[in-house]
Amino acid sequence: MNLAWKEIKKNKVRFLILGSIVFLVSFLTFIISGLANGLSQDNAALIKDLPQGQFYMNKDADQTYNLSKIDSSTQNEILSKEKDAVAFSLQMGFLNDKDNKQQSVAFVTSTESNLFENVKHNEVVLDSSMKDKGIKVGDTLTNNQFSGKFVVKGFVDQKKYSHAPVAYINEQDYKEIYRVDEMQMIFVPDGDSSKEFAGLESFSNKAFLNTIPSYNAEQMSLNMIVWFLVVISGMLFAIFFYMMNVQKIGLYGILKAIGLKTSKLFQLIWTQMAIITVISLILSVTFSQAFNMVAPQGMPFSLTIATTTQLSIVFLIIGFIGATISGLQIRKIEPLQAIQQGEA
Amino acid sequence: MTLFTIDEVRKTFTNGEVKEEILKGINLSLKEGEIIALVGASGSGKSTLLTIAAGLQPASDGQVIFEDNNLTSMSSEEVRKVRASKFGFVFQFAHLVPFLTVEEQLLLMLDVSESKLKKSEQKNEVDRILKLVGMDHRKNSYPSSLSGGEKQRVAIARAIIHKPKVLFADEPTASLDSKRSKEVMLLIRDLTKTLNITTLMVTHDEEMLAYTDRIIKMSDGVILQDAL
Repeated sequence: MNLAWKEIKKNKVRFLILGSIVFLVSFLTFIISGLANGLSQDNAALIKDLPQGQFYMNKDADQTYNLSKIDSSTQNEILSKEKDAVAFSLQMGFLNDKDNKQQSVAFVTSTESNLFENVKHNEVVLDSSMKDKGIKVGDTLTNNQFSGKFVVKGFVDQKKYSHAPVAYINEQDYKEIYRVDEMQMIFVPDGDSSKEFAGLESFSNKAFLNTIPSYNAEQMSLNMIVWFLVVISGMLFAIFFYMMNVQKIGLYGILKAIGLKTSKLFQLIWTQMAIITVISLILSVTFSQAFNMVAPQGMPFSLTIATTTQLSIVFLIIGFIGATISGLQIRKIEPLQAIQQGEA
Repeated sequence: MTLFTIDEVRKTFTNGEVKEEILKGINLSLKEGEIIALVGASGSGKSTLLTIAAGLQPASDGQVIFEDNNLTSMSSEEVRKVRASKFGFVFQFAHLVPFLTVEEQLLLMLDVSESKLKKSEQKNEVDRILKLVGMDHRKNSYPSSLSGGEKQRVAIARAIIHKPKVLFADEPTASLDSKRSKEVMLLIRDLTKTLNITTLMVTHDEEMLAYTDRIIKMSDGVILQDAL
């Protein structure tokens, strides 16, 4: 007999309240998680989209990439040794559009590699968000430090850095704008962290992301909110089921007296927890994915099915733990106490 | 034929440094089909004796033998199995499951007692027992819509649906008025006689003693009188 479902059907309001709270908390968690992912993409998609590997920058740069300079002999040595290695530089800057309006961008240049856009002299490839600013293929853009003009050759999707669209330019043009002769970093895909080069410090992808100013602080705050909400939902389960169990101590005692196994009572609360959580999660996943589709263009929001699935599994585990903790009191219920109490 | 033997059962409760002996070596045999009333003043130990006999709490000393099984030496899981399959319970309050209909209360008991009946046979059995207690017309009702007397009838039906050998009744009429009490007592007597169920009942109500076969009077943890 499915006691769990029968109780839910008979006490719709009570379980609807619990379900609504789980729905709201999980929905809020998905939205915050979507914003965290969105901001993370907005801040560092350029780096996050690279495969796992090792970044190298000058030891003297004090883990600050825009202070890093890799001399050409070291660069040539590494690029000749490591087949897919690429040297690259990036700096924040701006481009003037045809109306002479400044557009903030992150200039990126690299040696020949399929990991970055390879652009010819006087050409630029932009992140597709620049289309929203009215920039089209063939437009001519300028920069105050650059003697020539950039012709827009194309757009790439989701290439952002430090909340600015990326502008891929030629190495020669980059060096002219920033008056530098060296590249800032070298990236070795699938690189081994134990591989060392004289005068260079190595970083994994994650470690390198943490050197980006504001990235770590931003992500830590948002992730803390997400996990805080997950823990809150677990506590809500524990508190709600505890309160419901306290009200049913008499009933549980009688059921134990007539011979119902304690494990059946645990099954009852686990089943109820699973039913409530699954229904609430289905609704919050649906709503959050719908929001993902209709979120305003400029809003940094990215919520993948994989993330929602992972979080949903965490919610189920947390719900299970919360319900189990609240159910521990069931083990202690003595049938005798229940019999001596009044009507349940 | 003796079904139940209570042999030198003692029960002591410790409250801080004070030890209180509630049962002081009780000896009792229950015969099949008998209706036995345990009477006595509050604190005489009658409810404690009933709950020890029913396997709801352990004795401090002595033995409770039911059908050659020593309940006092069994594990709690083994005692639970005996309670589920061989015992029935009626309490002062009906203690029905509030979210189950009358029919479902009885089906739950068959489930708990691990009844071998098929689904359709279980439903037929529920109908039969509900007719016996005069509650067949309320089988789809929830406890909240039943009167006190009706709830107690359903509790009795739940207690006997799995054909127990012993029915333990702890003040089954205490929450009912005089008329309903007599009806419920008559029902317990008729059913247990028809189904040959041994009944051990605790009561304060002397009027109910007319429906029993044997009266055991207790005082201060000992049996004062055992009268047929």
